[in-house]
Amino acid sequence: MKKSKKQKLEADYFKTTKHRALSAARRLISIVICTALIFSLSSCWSRRELNTLAIVLATALDVGDKPDTVKVTAQIVKPGGIKASSTSSGGGTAEKAFSNIAFTDKSILSALGGFTHITNRRMYFSHNKVLIFGSELAKRGIAEGMDTFTRNFETRMNVYVLVSKDKAADILDEEIELEQMPANHISELLENQGLSSETAIVTVRDFNIATLSGTMAPIAPMIELYNFKEKKKARLEGTAVFKESRMIGELSSTQTRGLLWITNKAKRHTITIDTELGKIDLIITGSKGSIKPYRNKDGTIGIKLMVNAQGCLEGNETEEDLSTLENIQKLSELAEEAIRADIESSIKQAQALSADVFGFGESIRRDYPKEFEKIKDNWDQEFVKIKPMLEVEVFLNCTGGIGKPVKEGGG
Amino acid sequence: MKLENGHISEHSLMFGVYCFMQASMLRTAFIVGVTKNDSWAMAFTGLALALVLVAIYAALLRRYQQKNLFEINELIFGNVLGKVFSALYLFFFLTIAALNARDLGNFAESSVLPGTPLTAFILMFLMVCVYAIRKGIENMMRLATVLSFVAAGALVFNVVLILKNVNIEFLKPMFQLPFKNYVQGTVTVAAIPMGEILAFTMITPMLGKNKKAGKMMALGLIYSVISLSIIMLRDIVTLGPLLGIVRLPSFESIRYISLAGVMTRMESLYAVILISLFLFKTVVLLYASVLGLAQILNFKSYSPLTLICGAFVLFYSLIVTKSAMENEEWGASVAPFFSLSFELMLPVIALATAMIKRMLKKKEAQQ
Repeated sequence: MKKSKKQKLEADYFKTTKHRALSAARRLISIVICTALIFSLSSCWSRRELNTLAIVLATALDVGDKPDTVKVTAQIVKPGGIKASSTSSGGGTAEKAFSNIAFTDKSILSALGGFTHITNRRMYFSHNKVLIFGSELAKRGIAEGMDTFTRNFETRMNVYVLVSKDKAADILDEEIELEQMPANHISELLENQGLSSETAIVTVRDFNIATLSGTMAPIAPMIELYNFKEKKKARLEGTAVFKESRMIGELSSTQTRGLLWITNKAKRHTITIDTELGKIDLIITGSKGSIKPYRNKDGTIGIKLMVNAQGCLEGNETEEDLSTLENIQKLSELAEEAIRADIESSIKQAQALSADVFGFGESIRRDYPKEFEKIKDNWDQEFVKIKPMLEVEVFLNCTGGIGKPVKEGGG
Repeated sequence: MKLENGHISEHSLMFGVYCFMQASMLRTAFIVGVTKNDSWAMAFTGLALALVLVAIYAALLRRYQQKNLFEINELIFGNVLGKVFSALYLFFFLTIAALNARDLGNFAESSVLPGTPLTAFILMFLMVCVYAIRKGIENMMRLATVLSFVAAGALVFNVVLILKNVNIEFLKPMFQLPFKNYVQGTVTVAAIPMGEILAFTMITPMLGKNKKAGKMMALGLIYSVISLSIIMLRDIVTLGPLLGIVRLPSFESIRYISLAGVMTRMESLYAVILISLFLFKTVVLLYASVLGLAQILNFKSYSPLTLICGAFVLFYSLIVTKSAMENEEWGASVAPFFSLSFELMLPVIALATAMIKRMLKKKEAQQ
């Protein structure tokens, strides 16, 4: 009896030691596993630290010096520069917040590869905002640039596309004051164009969609340098027109405005009307444009353009009270005349270039696909022949803060 | 002998089907290449075809209450032939599990984790899948409800954010392509994402003595079709003709979102949700294979097989296609027929055999 008790105790003892050994082994294994798991927390396999990246904000593409080469210029953020220029207030030349580097090679991607010879950091294009083509390259063809910047997973399709009148690389060297980086200046410049509606805003997506449609001529806003107080600054001016990915011509600011009216891209615009009494300013606050194909009685397809705008009387140089209904009616007729002139000028220029910048062909394809099949192949000739019907309506619904003009003895 | 003792509710099944289908968001490129700007309609015509499939599965499940697809096979065809049929299904489940793992791997390799070896990514992914199955499929099915709402919420969020940049005109001209394209689009939609819900016939016995399996599968399918058509509509009005040339339409249209400079880079959100959805889909497919394999081999428990099947899927996914281009080519040409032979042909044979057997039995009883 006693013995068996002792035996039992012994057995228990062995059990517990066995148990202990097991649990120790378990603990060891779990520690090893946990330690191994720590390595998986080091995240991405090909992680790239911020201080090893060259964050590109703008890219400029030009024709290279040697034949059949392309020069790629990239604007890189210099984080140290941002800090320096924001703390040093006035006086002294603050350090620039960016650095431009360039490389020339046979193709864009090989030039990007070439950057490794001149910079220690890896180029990072995810934050690229602006893509500028030099007009010389644009005239030779930009198919390579558009494909590369669409295909790559690092770049985005909401990058703005521009064409510079001279070398694109020079635009990235503009001397700016309010902003710290030309790239930000240019992209924000574009975002504000709704206030004047004289520049088309085009992203890589928009450009590609126009290219892929086959009949539509892609466009891109143009940018140029001008001298102001001995400083070189950039400004937007006009629109470049492409065909088969080559730049074939330009639209002026007025013609661009006409294009924006009918393609429903115009937002605000100031119309100044010269009357015999003086100048009058009308601000268009909102506009709706549309392209509507219709079928003629003989089966041919015509195009009807409609613009519906609202606006305000915002400036009156004359002594006349223009807020009467009768005068407002006259003014809106004059405004309609001005918009009509813009549109007619842009259509004239587009037909002279035989480039369908408006998307007339696309609108016919969408509404009358069967008829479009017949005219698709010689669309260029068809487009030149089109005489669109124009319907412009302007409705003035306010006169600003005052009704009658400010004039001597008027009160 | 019962291998699975878990229980799920009918709603879990419905949301499960929804999640399972949403994981196919990546695969819309197969369809939009064929039916271009009318692809959104293919979701509905595809649904009509897919409902026929669901009706067949429901008929099978109703005849053999509380039995899964592999058990039904053995009951209909007997022990040996039944196992042959089951093995065919097993091959199908493993193949689509491998294809899905590879799809996700390709996506991660090209756009989320560039530079990370494909093997490392799929290995990690499948380890999570195996872990999920070992902890019980019913937990995963319960999770589906949450995941559905997250996925649907993200979709609404993305659609609202992109509205600024869309052009409704891209939907026109409607239905002008050759009729053949629409047939191909419909069959592709029905076969590739929709028909794959065949895997749920391995899970339906967990509903218990519930006859609503077919109805819930159909409902889940209908909700997911609504989502799918919204996704395709969004892609069409955002990308227009670009739709035909991009590899991942949804990814590209979400990448385009840029609202006030703050709401940008939404694709990271999309990637996270996509990976969770793919996890769910792969878990369901892997579970179906594991349970099926245990049944074919007469195992008492399926859990020893999970790791083995997971490892198999890993290696299978590495060799199943050589490149993204090959995968796409396969998806556009062979895949619908491959899938339909398992999703339509085999179940129809099973159902027909079952009906004939019953008729013969009745005749015998009459005599």
